[in-house]
Amino acid sequence: MVSSEKDRRGRQTVLAVLLAAVALALDLAACGGGGGGGIEGGGGEESAEEVKLQGKPSGTVTISNWPLYIDKKTVPDFEKATGLTVKYIEDVNDNAEFFGKMQPLLSQGESGGRSLFVVTDWMANKMRQLGYLQNLDKSGIPEVEKNLRGPLRHPAFDPNRDFSVPWQSGMTGIIVRKDLAPNVHSICDLFDPKYKGKVDFLTEMRDTVPLVMKCEGVDPEKAEAGDWLKAIEKIKGAAQSGQIRRFTGNDYASDLTSGNVVAVIGWSGDAVQLQIENPNIEWRMPTEGCMLWSDNMVIPVGAPNPTAAEAWMNYVYEPKNQAQIEAYVNYVTPVEGVKELFEKTEPELAKNQLIFPSESFTKKCSIAPPLSASEEQKLTQAFDAVLNS
Amino acid sequence: MSADREGAGGRAWRWLREHAVNIAAGLVVLYLLIPIAVIFVFSFNDPQGRYNFTWVGFTLSHWGNAFGLEDLTDALLTSLKLALLATVISTVIGTLMALALVRHNFFGRRLANFLIVIPMATPEVVMGAALLSFFLILNTPPLGFQTLLIAHVMFCISFVVVVVRSRLIGFDRSLEEAARDLGASSFETFRLVTLPLIMPGIFGAAMLAFALSIDDFVISNFNSGTTVTFPLYIFGAAQRGIPVEVNVVAMILFFFTVAAMGFATWQQRRAEKMASIRPEQEAGAGFPAGAAAAT
Amino acid sequence: MRRRIVPYFLLSPGTIWLVLFFVVPLYYMGKLSLESGVVGSLEFNWNWSNYSEALSLYDSQFIRSFVYAGVATLLALLISYPLAYTIAFKAGRWRNALLFAVVAPFFTTYLIRTLAWETMLSDESPVTKFLHTVGLAPSGHVLATSGAVIAGLTYNFLPFMILPIYASLERIDVRLIEASKDLYCSAAQGFWRVTLPLSAPGIVAGTLLTFIPAAGDYVNAQFLGGVGNRMIGNVIQSLYLTQSNYPSAAALSFVLMGLIMVAVVVYIRFAGSEALMGEEAV
Repeated sequence: MVSSEKDRRGRQTVLAVLLAAVALALDLAACGGGGGGGIEGGGGEESAEEVKLQGKPSGTVTISNWPLYIDKKTVPDFEKATGLTVKYIEDVNDNAEFFGKMQPLLSQGESGGRSLFVVTDWMANKMRQLGYLQNLDKSGIPEVEKNLRGPLRHPAFDPNRDFSVPWQSGMTGIIVRKDLAPNVHSICDLFDPKYKGKVDFLTEMRDTVPLVMKCEGVDPEKAEAGDWLKAIEKIKGAAQSGQIRRFTGNDYASDLTSGNVVAVIGWSGDAVQLQIENPNIEWRMPTEGCMLWSDNMVIPVGAPNPTAAEAWMNYVYEPKNQAQIEAYVNYVTPVEGVKELFEKTEPELAKNQLIFPSESFTKKCSIAPPLSASEEQKLTQAFDAVLNS
Repeated sequence: MSADREGAGGRAWRWLREHAVNIAAGLVVLYLLIPIAVIFVFSFNDPQGRYNFTWVGFTLSHWGNAFGLEDLTDALLTSLKLALLATVISTVIGTLMALALVRHNFFGRRLANFLIVIPMATPEVVMGAALLSFFLILNTPPLGFQTLLIAHVMFCISFVVVVVRSRLIGFDRSLEEAARDLGASSFETFRLVTLPLIMPGIFGAAMLAFALSIDDFVISNFNSGTTVTFPLYIFGAAQRGIPVEVNVVAMILFFFTVAAMGFATWQQRRAEKMASIRPEQEAGAGFPAGAAAAT
Repeated sequence: MRRRIVPYFLLSPGTIWLVLFFVVPLYYMGKLSLESGVVGSLEFNWNWSNYSEALSLYDSQFIRSFVYAGVATLLALLISYPLAYTIAFKAGRWRNALLFAVVAPFFTTYLIRTLAWETMLSDESPVTKFLHTVGLAPSGHVLATSGAVIAGLTYNFLPFMILPIYASLERIDVRLIEASKDLYCSAAQGFWRVTLPLSAPGIVAGTLLTFIPAAGDYVNAQFLGGVGNRMIGNVIQSLYLTQSNYPSAAALSFVLMGLIMVAVVVYIRFAGSEALMGEEAV
């Protein structure tokens, strides 16, 4: 038409080179500007930042929590009591997934607007190791100091509770359809070929694998990497043989209620809700014991208004406020004094072992030990290979 | 040929063969609508607890309270706002691109064609993750509505271009030439002749963009920050028990869409009746509604 | 001179948007795929092993994804063609209503539709029992099988198959078919020799628009599938969001894109390129 073929090709090349140059330029600019942050750079500081309280709490505070982990009245009550405005978001659906979303922000010292979020012990530990969390100023949370239950005061990953405050605790055990599988009482029972294809396991590695280790007779708190890998192998075998129907998060609820499965590894708080759906659903303490865990409130680096965040922590640790939450959530409360309140107002709940477990009830239960970064990567990779097989 | 010797069975068989395709089509339509029916039925369910998996009893209370859940309504409004903006922007940009690609033969055309096609060939997982890394490395804008809008427009453009382009290809240029002969400038020609005639295609493209945006989950999941869109809300809810109101809202969306499309078609029919000597320029490349108000 | 600038002017907003928000992020992802290390301390070192590891560790998921997507595409084609044909040729007044029926379900969210299938196909539901009696569900359950995932994929991409086929059928000049009848073709022959080939561009577009997203899907596998049904999309999502193993996730994404490109190029060579590039001469 107008230009010759060679001219055209020459110009197409120029165009391509121009595009590449633009890309490179942006790259260099980003490296200069971002300080090597984002997913490539690390954000870990040598010593952790500490929350600096600023007088009376005021303004807005954004809180990220797991879904259905609070009743409907606590947030409005808190707002009325303190004059703060709360933006409460339920976007923590899975620890690892939440980490994946937050990590690029946190590594640059940002929290995406969040003043506080709630993650499980091991994730709080991991974030701490990467320098993403702030230390708390204990003077802002006197109720916590006063009312935190004894067993939860000195966990291995945060011996002085410097950066985490439990929101709720829970137990992982087995949830059973007692009309369909009355005889499932232990983790080992879940491997019984009688229930082939009718069993769900959790995608949460730190629940599933230690429980299977218990079935093998290993104490998770003293286990070595080799023990973990052996347990993962066993799970892999069960997956490949079709023993396990699927690996789920909370969505084992649909399988249980519709009868697709007869038994699952599941969380104590869910069971109370599921029983309302179907009275044949019951949480059982495995004969080998359960796994104990807590979900913790933490304040990230870059949190706006940490003063208000600590005010929130303080508020929910007052027994009467906690009782209001507990009556809805039905997990294990970390706050001393709630049981006494319930004995007067909700005696049924006060007697429920799933909400106020006695020492003897949980005597064989274990807490998942903190893992080092390299161990964690190795084990997560091995377990994920099974999940994605 | 031997119809008089056919018995009732033979006639039935012949009827079946003649209508086989129609019957098959009818079955497919049924298949398409089955999940909608399930959603509809379960929107009347009255579960005791949080979960809506098994039928318990009939109630109209959730329909009465359809927008009572604040989180759900917020998420829905966010999605609608996002979809509307993304549709407008991507339709405008995409139409311009389609015009350039079809009407002009210029240097870089093949490269541009290629550029349009690649996003459609990229799995959403890849696009979502790539965009996320990009926004974070640049450190701006903050993850939320703006990043979602950028992402949605990005994946809608390609589809708009493809739809409008296919409508442009079948376009009769002689009409434009006639307009020019009658003294219209290029811009007037475009505005008064071209644009109205390709409007069904543009409208179809816009509807497609809207549907893609409101339905998007994967890319939004990566780039939403703390903003919650309707599909993201449902994904979160799916883990813990979907409230019945979600079903109600989904059905409202469905009925509203059907009504909107019905309305648009009715308008088009009216326009066609008013210009009754109009040649067969109806339903665009795949979408039924049109706007031809030019007559 | 002005004429020559016009196309660039029209093209620029779109091109800029796509380059900035599609090409550049992909470039960054490419860089990421060649890095190694733990999150928070990644370094760029031309680590091609990410790619070889990706291919060797996840080869079965790749194959499975392409198989599922392929079967779903084929099923979608078989299911969609009669409907597209009816809408184009036999619908008359019902044409718009039928097109609504095709498009409207699309407006309830993807997830809700998939969850509706999950409810309908649960082990105790009448649908599953019926399928079991008819022999289509030998193990007694439909969910958590590859069949469920494929069925989900097929269902979700039906509009993408129906509409392009309808579009190209609608444009066929009916007189061509009449001519074939005049020349003593039976209805069936007329279809095979005239209609089907003329609708080829629509079929090509539809199959591509179905196969490509289906290959990278993960939602269906997550909700409808069980152990052993995971697709490559699930792996990428878990590598990215669960393991935070960004280099491997990026490498895997590029491998997936590459494989899809190869499949598409082969397919287009075979089927004719005009349909996709839109330079068809109708």
